[in-house]
Amino acid sequence: MKTTQTIFEDGGHKWIAVVRDPKRPAHVIDTNEYLIAHDDEAILCDPGGSEIFPAVFSALSVEFDPSRIRALFSSHQDPDIISSLSMWLEFNPEIKCYLSWLWASFVSHFGGTEKTFVVIPDAGMEIFVGGLRLQAIPAHYLHSSGNLHLYDPKAKILFSGDVGAALLPAGEDSLFVENFDHHIHHAEGFHRRWMGSNKAKREWCERVSRLDIDMLCPQHGAIYRGEDVKRFIDWFANLEVGILKT
Amino acid sequence: MAIGNQRGHQLRRIVRVNEEIKTVIATAFTINLMAMNAIFLAKRAGTAALGFGVLSNELRRFAIDLQKQMALLSEMTYDSVSTVTALLKQARLNQMLKGTLSVCTGVGKRLVEDALRTRLEGALSDRQEQSDAINRRLSQMITDTCQLVELGSVLARSAKIEAAYGGKLSVPLTQVSSDFEQSIGEIQRSLEKLTKHHLEESDA
Repeated sequence: MKTTQTIFEDGGHKWIAVVRDPKRPAHVIDTNEYLIAHDDEAILCDPGGSEIFPAVFSALSVEFDPSRIRALFSSHQDPDIISSLSMWLEFNPEIKCYLSWLWASFVSHFGGTEKTFVVIPDAGMEIFVGGLRLQAIPAHYLHSSGNLHLYDPKAKILFSGDVGAALLPAGEDSLFVENFDHHIHHAEGFHRRWMGSNKAKREWCERVSRLDIDMLCPQHGAIYRGEDVKRFIDWFANLEVGILKT
Repeated sequence: MAIGNQRGHQLRRIVRVNEEIKTVIATAFTINLMAMNAIFLAKRAGTAALGFGVLSNELRRFAIDLQKQMALLSEMTYDSVSTVTALLKQARLNQMLKGTLSVCTGVGKRLVEDALRTRLEGALSDRQEQSDAINRRLSQMITDTCQLVELGSVLARSAKIEAAYGGKLSVPLTQVSSDFEQSIGEIQRSLEKLTKHHLEESDA
């Protein structure tokens, strides 16, 4: 089963990371899910694939009543991001799924009705959860052509989808990046291959540099915090991406 | 057998039913063409082949009716595929919910139990009823088709008898009527296979 860790808490405002499943089959990529709760409502970022739904749901329900999840945020359309949609709808058919306008009619193959999807324009938009204002930040072509990240200005946390992701070897399962220089080797190949556009990357780096970020939370690997956030953005800005050889 | 596997078998059987339907449609199309040729041949034979001409007309009508009937059957198997697919999806969701239940505690466990109860009482049984209804209609339609083909077989046998009175064109008329008989025999064999696959599917 996965475990949960509260990475931010301020009264009724919480970020809960759902991470690391020791029983996960080796052929299924490890993912991080993040729940942003505010008072009585919550949004779940990249809820994961249907194969890992039992692990995510059970871990989450220890910390938080899943029936209070009002929305899902899908950074893009990949199966490891959102193929569990139909399972979440089982518990709350009214649940909303925020995602790029580009993918609404594609992700609906995983489940949902016309009312399920709240499409986000290319420029991003504000999303409100229990009175908390979140900001969907454009990250197109990183790696998906319709890609968005979610910024919480109050908690100063950026959920960055696949940006910042690292494929960690067995045994290196720390939730936070402990040694940036060592960690970034596990991220390099992934970013070179998966991220498709240097121009999009530069624009994203400029955009997020203007945000006040304490933690950068990717969907795979470990969380960057403090100075490592800036280190990561600088490293990414200088990395040549969109190439086949690593 | 696990429900998912069972539904997988059902889908494969439906595919086989569909293959037989395609064979019958193709053969019915051939009969239609053969009957048109037979009508011209009977006209050439004149009054001696009047009976053969009438039977050829009937065989042509039979071929058209059979094509229509098979098109309906094909539509029904499509419905059957949709229902079985939905059942397969439901079974998969149930399986995942059961998996979730086995690792859940507290509020999560209660939510999963409620969801499973609702599903088992509602959607799944509705779909099963829908599937059963489609199966019953399909069975009835296959029975009707078998009767129609039996009629075709009688027409082909009668055409063979009439061909003997076809005067100078008696030999080609006999050949044509034998072709009719052979084609309808092929259809009967396809229908037997189709019935067998369908019965296996219904039993599953």
